[in-house]
Amino acid sequence: MNNSFLRISIWVYLAIFFLYLLGPLVIMSITAFNSSGFPRMSPWECLTFQWFGELFQDQRILNGIKNSLIIGLGTVVLSVAMGLAGALMLTQIWPKLRATYYTIIIAPILIPGVVLGISTLVFWDRINRMLGLGADSFLSNGIFLTVIGQSTFIASYCMLVLVARLQRYDVALTEAALDLGASHAQAFRKILLPFMRPAIASAAVLAFLASFENYNTTTFTFGEYPTLTIELAQKVRYGITPAISALAFIIVALTVFFALMNEAKLKRQELVAVARKNATVEELAGKIKLPSFFAGNMAAVLLVVFAVATITVVGTAATYNPGQCIADIREQKQLEAEQRIQELRKQREERRKQREAEEAEQGGAQTAPKPSNNSGFGNVFAPNSLDGSETEGEDGVSEPESAPSNNSGFGGVFDPNSLQGDE
Amino acid sequence: MSAGVGVDLENLWIRFGDFVAVRDANVKINGGDFFSFLGPSGCGKTTILRAVSGFLEPSEGNVLIGGNNMRGIGPNKRPTALIFQNLALFPLMKVWENITFSMEIKGASSAERRKRADELLDMIALPDQGDKLPNELSGGQRQRVAIARALCAEPDVLLLDEPLSALDLKLRQHMRTELREIQKRVGITFIYITHDQGEALTMSDNIAVMRAGVIDQIADGKTIYNDPNTAFAASFVGENNVFRGKVKQIMGNEALIATNRSGDLVARISTTNQGKMKEGDDAMMFVRPEAFAIAPDGASGDHFVTARVNHEEFEGNAFNIFTEGEGGKEIKVSIPNHGQSFDDHTGQNITLEYETHNAVIVPAGELAAE
Amino acid sequence: MPQFLKEFFNRNGTGMGLAILGLVLFWTIGLIILPQLSMLDFSFRPNLPPPEIGGPKDVYTLENYKYLIYGPEGGSQDYNTVDLRVFFRTLVAAVCVTIFNLIICYPIAYYLGQSEGSHIRIFAIMLIIPYWINEILRAFALRIIFGETGVLNTLFLGLGVWDTPFDFIRNDIALYAGLGYAYILLMIFPMYNVIESLDKNQIEAARDLGAPWWRIHWRVVIPYAKPGISSGCTMVFMLSAGALAAPQILGGPSSLWFTQLIYQQFNDNNDWPQGAAYAIVLLVTCILFVLAVMRLFKVNMGDIGK
Repeated sequence: MNNSFLRISIWVYLAIFFLYLLGPLVIMSITAFNSSGFPRMSPWECLTFQWFGELFQDQRILNGIKNSLIIGLGTVVLSVAMGLAGALMLTQIWPKLRATYYTIIIAPILIPGVVLGISTLVFWDRINRMLGLGADSFLSNGIFLTVIGQSTFIASYCMLVLVARLQRYDVALTEAALDLGASHAQAFRKILLPFMRPAIASAAVLAFLASFENYNTTTFTFGEYPTLTIELAQKVRYGITPAISALAFIIVALTVFFALMNEAKLKRQELVAVARKNATVEELAGKIKLPSFFAGNMAAVLLVVFAVATITVVGTAATYNPGQCIADIREQKQLEAEQRIQELRKQREERRKQREAEEAEQGGAQTAPKPSNNSGFGNVFAPNSLDGSETEGEDGVSEPESAPSNNSGFGGVFDPNSLQGDE
Repeated sequence: MSAGVGVDLENLWIRFGDFVAVRDANVKINGGDFFSFLGPSGCGKTTILRAVSGFLEPSEGNVLIGGNNMRGIGPNKRPTALIFQNLALFPLMKVWENITFSMEIKGASSAERRKRADELLDMIALPDQGDKLPNELSGGQRQRVAIARALCAEPDVLLLDEPLSALDLKLRQHMRTELREIQKRVGITFIYITHDQGEALTMSDNIAVMRAGVIDQIADGKTIYNDPNTAFAASFVGENNVFRGKVKQIMGNEALIATNRSGDLVARISTTNQGKMKEGDDAMMFVRPEAFAIAPDGASGDHFVTARVNHEEFEGNAFNIFTEGEGGKEIKVSIPNHGQSFDDHTGQNITLEYETHNAVIVPAGELAAE
Repeated sequence: MPQFLKEFFNRNGTGMGLAILGLVLFWTIGLIILPQLSMLDFSFRPNLPPPEIGGPKDVYTLENYKYLIYGPEGGSQDYNTVDLRVFFRTLVAAVCVTIFNLIICYPIAYYLGQSEGSHIRIFAIMLIIPYWINEILRAFALRIIFGETGVLNTLFLGLGVWDTPFDFIRNDIALYAGLGYAYILLMIFPMYNVIESLDKNQIEAARDLGAPWWRIHWRVVIPYAKPGISSGCTMVFMLSAGALAAPQILGGPSSLWFTQLIYQQFNDNNDWPQGAAYAIVLLVTCILFVLAVMRLFKVNMGDIGK
């Protein structure tokens, strides 16, 4: 009985754990399809794809993606190269130096990203000054600094990935190539590099992802080339919209897609290896009979399901028009808002009557109304009147700041700044 | 290819820090020879091979291939090809790509390479296996692919670093013959490294016996077996019974040894030590198990030993008798099986005899570890 | 040429050897060592406008470090209580996050490390996927959940657990959850790697001897997994102490993180030397703290990163 209890509790624990891990991503993805101007699941208003459209019209986001891609590419090349060199050095360094060397190349993983960003900035600024170059030189270029700063620690990750594979490399293979007449460069290119290819691919993907999502280091070095992450951080810090959810959804979908693709590929390689082992000589010579793509390959099946789902969604998005629903909701909200205003007005009226009564009692000392209160609705929409807090931006009236046709008679009260209290 | 290219080691020293791996090696290997370095692991034979192939620069002395000094010439520029102990077949390349790797380096076309690969595959009796990957072959097949790959580079000298050690006994014995045949066919110099004296004896034209960085003896197999230079060579190559003692008297090429436990015995002094030993020297006398015969009871003299039989075993081609001489000295005797009747001697005392030219005396020295 | 270099070039060839050596030197010296030293040097200098750098006023000073302790000169308080409080709170919170992560990750790492079957691969992928999503977006996702009208509040208000929205952000719960969330993988993988190599027979043997499950963990699994645990804890501690995105997005207005102070010195006050000094203080304190804890638990530096 103890055993089954333990098993159940393990599964419950696993479920909670993965809910914690994946739940936020799922919820965030769902909010991308809710027409509510604030990313939320409930109340559910209308299914909409408008946030995707908005996303793709945001020049800053698009520009950020472009910068991220350029920087990511630079970082991948530099950190994989340095990581590989570092790993090769680690396998043959003089034993007495080994521990020190390892500490140095592993340290960037532990050094806070903020510190790396600052040190990169300070150091290259100094080099720049020593060389007598101006503020617009190559060395103070945001792309250069970001690639350099990110590579400092991403190369350590690459090194760890590469050294794991390198330890399984038989140095005799390089020697055999040399012995058969290859130059050192040829032996490297034809023997070591193909052997390392899977690890290099992993390291490159890791490096790209790490570069793409890096914030702490980049925030000090980006200069005039803000990456996507920097742009996102700006947006998230100063008010959030479902357009960000839309972007998140795309990234989640791409990640899942590539993860499944990789899994399917690995599985297929396994199956091919098995097929080769069972194949006869004639089959090997040319027409080897391979298992069909889906046979015994769960990941491949999932991949296809996933792809079909994506196509369906995109197809729906192209034809679907949530206009009516959104209009309904807006009308409903407008009604609610008006109702609320009426109530408030009534309250105010009552209060005023009360005050008047009091004042009348006190003998009419101060009767002048407060100034600057000439909007029809009084103070209701001033920032502090709605039980103000810094996070109020999320919470006020749920009309998006960027909603296109906002001429509903509420005037300037919806100016985002009046609702934003951020720091 | 007529005579082939010879290899000379001149006063070769190789040091790693304070450790001397090879001490003053002088070897002359004739072109077209099958030459073996034989010694226990750690004796420096692989180090010599790496110096010949160019992976190691000698600390002192020279490696000459075909009379040319190889100092400063990298492994990829030397006319040698090495077969590694673990074969080092390229795991990601198909068999035919492995074999013709040296041609790929030189920029040969794929068709040319394929053609050459097929020829070599025929030679090593693996036709049609070119499209497999190395790990899809059996151990013996991989072995042959490694040889083909080395031969494809058309080396003047083929170096083999214990290439048979990973194979099982049956295959190992088969590959010995095959290697020897290939060598005869291609006619190039083979330098073979092994710790297995059986391999060295069966295949080699000449053998160098190595111990702790020093070459003890260079000779053909028969000489090394019958006329060893040193105690180590005598004890490492084949089985041998050792009798320790002091030289009592020199009688031309023979000597009388006062052994510690078996009385005074006479034997031949090994050829290179003749004239160098004198009375009173510590000496060792070696008698092979098969050099003993059972003598009639009561016989005695300077080539008789008495012993008590501990146990016996029948090995098919021979009867092995394990005896214990005076003072607990173990002596192994091996009587060839001619189909004669064989009495059980266990527990009995017997007298053994040998012919003095079948026993050999060398100066006392280090023995090979059991 | 020293023997090591000679062998190195022999093994790799001159061209390849130079390429490897060049890259390694550029990385270790040009990207790791010199920038850190440069930052250290910078932290001892006054904040000067560019033309005066290298001039007579550019002298070494402890001013920037004094500032952290005593605050601005002529300030109203004896000590810089605001910054110091932020500093210590950051360290304490990072320790809490580390412990929280260790506790929730250990069972998962143990489960993944000791079970077999194809579902383990799926779990591994599910673990890695969140890690591939942008750090900012992960924080954003948590903000959606912990917001005043977020999923949790909607849920609990709906269930009637509480009747006014609970402010997760102001109470720092969102921040801790976010920091924990961000570094789960870095805690699990080192532990998983070690536990996976633990021979299952050892656990079986302990169980046969009648040890209860908690004792098996205490006496067998945890001592064995110590390198992985320390590796994971070190990484999580260093990274959460040095986190910037999560505090910026999930932190309440009153709960500054020390990295945010550094950020402000750099980007808002434009006082680089001051920022560099704060960064040095953070780096050195964290390293000393980790080394002290590692000594306490008798762990070697070489185990980190495996």
